[in-house]
Amino acid sequence: MDFLAEGFRRAWGLLIAGDSEVFGIAAVTLKVAIVATAISCAAGLPLGYFLATRRFWGRRAALTMVNTALAFPTVVVGLLLYGILSRRGPLGGLGWLYTWEAIVAGDVLLALPIAAALSAAAVQSVDPRVRRTAETLGAGPWRTAWTVAREARFALAAVITAAFGQVVAEIGAAMILGGNIRGSTRTLTTAVALYTSQGDFGMALALGLVLIVLALVVNIALQVLQGRGHA
Amino acid sequence: MLELRGVRHRYGKRVVLDLEQFTVPRGAVVAVVGHNGAGKSTLLRLLALLETPTEGQILLNGVAVPRRASAALRRRVTLVEQRPMLFRGTVRENLEYGLRLRGIGRTAVTGIIGHMVEQLGLLPLLDRRRAELSDGEVQRVAVARALALRTDVLLLDEPASSADSAAAGALYRALAAERAARPVTVCVASHQLEDAYRWADDIRALADGRLSPVTPENLFRVDLPPGEGVKNVRVGGIEIAVMTERTGAAVLAVPPTDIFVSREPLASSARNVFKGRVTGMAIGRHGAGVHVRADMGADGGVELVASVTAEAARDLALAPGVSVVFSFKATAVQVF
Repeated sequence: MDFLAEGFRRAWGLLIAGDSEVFGIAAVTLKVAIVATAISCAAGLPLGYFLATRRFWGRRAALTMVNTALAFPTVVVGLLLYGILSRRGPLGGLGWLYTWEAIVAGDVLLALPIAAALSAAAVQSVDPRVRRTAETLGAGPWRTAWTVAREARFALAAVITAAFGQVVAEIGAAMILGGNIRGSTRTLTTAVALYTSQGDFGMALALGLVLIVLALVVNIALQVLQGRGHA
Repeated sequence: MLELRGVRHRYGKRVVLDLEQFTVPRGAVVAVVGHNGAGKSTLLRLLALLETPTEGQILLNGVAVPRRASAALRRRVTLVEQRPMLFRGTVRENLEYGLRLRGIGRTAVTGIIGHMVEQLGLLPLLDRRRAELSDGEVQRVAVARALALRTDVLLLDEPASSADSAAAGALYRALAAERAARPVTVCVASHQLEDAYRWADDIRALADGRLSPVTPENLFRVDLPPGEGVKNVRVGGIEIAVMTERTGAAVLAVPPTDIFVSREPLASSARNVFKGRVTGMAIGRHGAGVHVRADMGADGGVELVASVTAEAARDLALAPGVSVVFSFKATAVQVF
């Protein structure tokens, strides 16, 4: 118990003192998470809408594929992308390996199925009359999609939160693709793993607390949004 | 003019609509009547260009509509569904939705909405949200939202089903005013035959997705016994004589124009003669639809609609509650 209490004391001290390493790692994590969430949602939400509303050959297979991708192990995704981004890989020329861009690429691959599958479910739960009504009042495809999205906005906000949650808490791809380089690709999760293995429990705990605070802030923001959007 | 040609529409393997031809002439009001599940709402969704028929064509003013109708084409037709949907937001925002899509300026939008609000008595509702409205109010807002767009074709699915009589009156008056102002084509689906007689230029009946020669009151699902010649089939406490060679499940249709209504029994060749009373009347521009019910005890009997001229209704002093005799020939009963 002393060990745990000591860890908390040191964590609190680091946070209060504004430790540059803790906040530097948090900044990298936030940058990666925001960019990866934005990209995965920008592609995943329209993909989910398309899967939910269009009838085409192979739609069921596409939905099954997206749902299966939800369960992809992060280390396997990291490994595959490592092969692609490594010097001898097809995208080796980009020089992304061990950069924050590589972590973003891995996180996008992991969050995209979440954004697509959950937004498809969210759109499917919207009353089909919303789409018909928008169309019969003269809306084109984009305006119809926007109207449906407005009706499903709470569910879609939850989709964005889930995608953010996946990205910010992921470790496997970040470790393999980023290399956990100090000041460059060290994220909160990879740093927690590193400092725990080095026995610096206080530092690991401080970083863990920052991670929890990040998740809390995003959820509070969502609740505020839901409160404003009532009715 | 809106037209369906050779339309056969399926949901899965089930054929829900099978129409060789269905035309709504320009400027006319056509009522489509039929039981629940007859295909009325599907028909209106096809006419609204919201669904593409599995087979066949939709023509708007003689031009075939492509399989995926463009927004520009859809803006010429609008549909108010039986259970209309209001979007999240206020009534005012809902009324503005379609007008803004058409790029109409703020001042013009305010003027159009003001006019609709006045016609349909929506002023107290303007700043309310959908959760604060009754079903009847939602229906009125949806009709106003559609009328405000001034489309060439207006499709209404049971537009007064949730309205009280005053609201229904306001709704039909607004529709009449719109027709007086411009040649709007209207197709109304209704199970209330009185509305159809009162407002429509033409009444079409749907049964099992097909156009039926008679209105739904005069349709009966029966199981025809084997044999030839005249068969007596029991329907709701009475026996109807029908001339057919068919056996098994069938639908009997008694055309309203083939039903004689008299105050006393007539000596005639009709095999179907029933004593009853008038249960309702709707007098329209094409004569009177007289609802007659065969007396078979407190809860027995069958209700039919007979079509008579307004003069005949007056001469016979027909009114609800009046005892009558109604008759029709076994050969007048259509089987399909």
